[in-house]
Amino acid sequence: MGVKARAQALPGQEINVDEQRGLSVEGLLPSTVMRPEDAEDAARGLHLCDLAPAAVVVWGGGTQMRLGAPPRRYEVAFSTERMTRLLEYEPADLTCRVEAGIRLRDLQAALREQGQRLPLDPPHPERATVGGMVAANTNGLSRGRYGTVRDWVIGIAVAYPSGKVARAGGKVVKNVAGYDLMKLHIGALGTLGVVAEVNFKVQARPEMETTLLTHFEAPAPALGVGLKLAHQYLAPASAIVQDHESLPPPLAGEGRGGGRWHLALKFEGYAREVQAAKDQAVRFVREAGGIVQEAEIPSAFWDAARDWSTPADDEVVLRAIVPLAASPLLMAAVPPDARVLAQPASGVVDVRVPAPSAAATLSRLRTAAGAEGQVVVVAAPVALKQGLDVWGPPPPGFPIMRALKQALDPNGILNPGRFVGGI
Amino acid sequence: MDAAIREDLLGQIRGVVGDRFAFADLYEMRLYQYDASPETALPDIVVIPGTAKEVAQVVKICADARVPITARSGASSLAGGTVPVEGGVVITFARMDRILEIDIDNLRAVVQPGVVNLALSQALKPHGYYYVPDPSSQGACTIGGNVATNAGGPHTLLYGVTVNHVTGLEVALANGELVQVGGRNGAEAIGYDLTGVLVGSEGTMGVVTRIWVKIQPLPPVQKTLMAVYPDVAAASNAVSAIVRTGILPAAIEMMDRLSIQAIEAASHAGYPLDAGAVLLLEVDGTPEVAEELGQRMAKVCRENGASEVRVARNEAERQALWKGRKGAFSAMGRLSPDFYVMDGVVPRTKLPETLAKIDAISERTGFKICNVFHAGDGNLHPLVLFDAFKPGQYEAVLRIGDEILKLCADAGGSVTGEHGIGLEKRENIRYVFSDDDLEVMDRIRRVFDPQRLMNPGKVFPGEGLKPSQVPMPPGYPRRQPGAAIAAGEDVWV
Repeated sequence: MGVKARAQALPGQEINVDEQRGLSVEGLLPSTVMRPEDAEDAARGLHLCDLAPAAVVVWGGGTQMRLGAPPRRYEVAFSTERMTRLLEYEPADLTCRVEAGIRLRDLQAALREQGQRLPLDPPHPERATVGGMVAANTNGLSRGRYGTVRDWVIGIAVAYPSGKVARAGGKVVKNVAGYDLMKLHIGALGTLGVVAEVNFKVQARPEMETTLLTHFEAPAPALGVGLKLAHQYLAPASAIVQDHESLPPPLAGEGRGGGRWHLALKFEGYAREVQAAKDQAVRFVREAGGIVQEAEIPSAFWDAARDWSTPADDEVVLRAIVPLAASPLLMAAVPPDARVLAQPASGVVDVRVPAPSAAATLSRLRTAAGAEGQVVVVAAPVALKQGLDVWGPPPPGFPIMRALKQALDPNGILNPGRFVGGI
Repeated sequence: MDAAIREDLLGQIRGVVGDRFAFADLYEMRLYQYDASPETALPDIVVIPGTAKEVAQVVKICADARVPITARSGASSLAGGTVPVEGGVVITFARMDRILEIDIDNLRAVVQPGVVNLALSQALKPHGYYYVPDPSSQGACTIGGNVATNAGGPHTLLYGVTVNHVTGLEVALANGELVQVGGRNGAEAIGYDLTGVLVGSEGTMGVVTRIWVKIQPLPPVQKTLMAVYPDVAAASNAVSAIVRTGILPAAIEMMDRLSIQAIEAASHAGYPLDAGAVLLLEVDGTPEVAEELGQRMAKVCRENGASEVRVARNEAERQALWKGRKGAFSAMGRLSPDFYVMDGVVPRTKLPETLAKIDAISERTGFKICNVFHAGDGNLHPLVLFDAFKPGQYEAVLRIGDEILKLCADAGGSVTGEHGIGLEKRENIRYVFSDDDLEVMDRIRRVFDPQRLMNPGKVFPGEGLKPSQVPMPPGYPRRQPGAAIAAGEDVWV
């Protein structure tokens, strides 16, 4: 029996052409879709795929499906859409346990009812799932202050091709029993197992939140103020530097006093603290020659900024991450035809670039990022991707990574070819 | 180890580090047979390398000879993490204790594994920064050891544990290769997060030779207050009430009646002797914010049954309040010649019932049990008081420890919050993980260390020699009475 035939013999549901198209990845179409109902069911399904063997691409909300190299093979779409339960939530413990298919927005809504939140804000929370956020390590604009996914996941249940569900971590905020396999699966793009359940620690919502939008004629002073603020005890929760061309429509052209760049700052915390932090920022901005916008900032501003790096169309997005102090140098290497969103508190610079100049810009940014930096293609049309080195050269320690893949997915059925170095 | 094999190995290792820095003399090696746990086991050879490259070469020599390797530096492990239970070579970092770089611009520091935790924060202080994780033994433990155990401390409640502050590692792998994972950038490094996997792996994956850590600005003010309660249940409920208000304290510590009595006898911290429980609470902030939050917490404490709330008015008063807590373990010597400390964790809301159950165990067995712990994150440190020279007491205490860890696990918690599994809890790990869970962890371990030479006999249940089976010279004391008390000045948790 050929691979195709074996995959078709799997017990998942056959799918019609429309569904198939909706589940296409980089132009490849699956022949089967599996929709497990819980972690154990996911492990059983995965085991059948492993026996076939049939290549599996895991689907959550589908917001990050353009991340990574095109898959080598794709037979089974493995969807977490039925795994959407909030399994445990004890507000007084500041912890919760959820199934991987729960959407971020739904989780945040449940937490909000208790005055709490998960301080992670990845793009498109209305579609993005917890499992997808973990697998793709998608982090929003508050990472400088609150850290990334790895700082909030305290436990995990993973379905493996062996047919087993294995857990790591637990339900308490402080726990060093056993290996921290949460870290292994965060950002692994589902290449080592299917994240089935996730335990988080959560926090109380801040008492107050306010935004300051400021304008500069050039990116360097805007970045400079952002960097200076990142070194203060009263640092903002989010800080972004963008050119006005990238501004969401309601703001374009309003009260910016001739500046071409803006530094947007979000402050969160206790009321007095927020006021003090804002006063300090205003002082820094004025000292650096910036203009403080007095008009009110619509709440949609931060949503648009959050989603900016995950565009719906076929645009190319590159993400550079460099040591904080290197971001001005990296910004200087961005060509004029590209749009930028930089986060000075975390060294992340997202660049949208027209397809024809993508390869040249990528190479330029990799040079500017230097040995300690990195540049990844986070989205690009498939035709273009074939010619781009999506992840860049494999990092030191890559032989260990390949051996980890071999240990957990010996038949290579999970997302084959999508990850670093062809994993 | 066969004497001829040992001689040959020692010769090879001396060829790398020099004659002075490798030895196999029984007298000299005694220092390296123990840590702050009760168990002991002698190494065959001790090495004090001076560079990462030397470490990698020594690891390679050991791997080729199939000899176990155990790394140690501060040796303040309470779980026997650095006891070389299968013998072999102990690598100690006494010479690799330098802060290599303080990089304020990028909010990072780069250190060697032997740097004492507190020394880094002291070096950062003039710049207005600090390294956040502050295990209570921070005056003695090293950052290398902190990485191995993913160490915590009182202030991890708000700021997270070691792994949240480490962005990169240089590590000598079992094949003798020296590899850097992560680095200055950190958390979103390309590929699998090997840094995150290595932190907390208790030396079973490789030997860490260099560490990149985050640093952050010092809080302008730390406001500390003490609240006095009639019993631990009332104090536990107050902790939950504070958490529910939305205030994020930097630390919430609790001491029970017996601990208070020991502490007061030793350090006169000013805790009321008739109290059933004392809470120490701390918030960070600007002076105005810290003041406001201090008052709000004081109010919640009173509303939840505190008979007295005392706010430290200045740094001297703050230090006085902390002095009692920090000296808690050494103070136990006032009550008993020995104690055995556990490191269980329960969900915060399960604190009252768990403490009641521990109390019942104490009643039933006749052993006194003190509780001094990180109440904010449910990390319990029950101390069972005993006398190691009385036959049968040590064994009885181990059974009590086992029972306490089981009830923590059954409450939805963990068998270790910050000390690690080590040698001590490798069977207890079964209370929280299934065979399937452990099988996956073992597969990961074998990727890094196929020959099982890196700190063997730790973390995983049912393998290797138990301490009582380790061959020792005739007449050699099997365990060290009073070890924890003796180390108490440096080791408090």
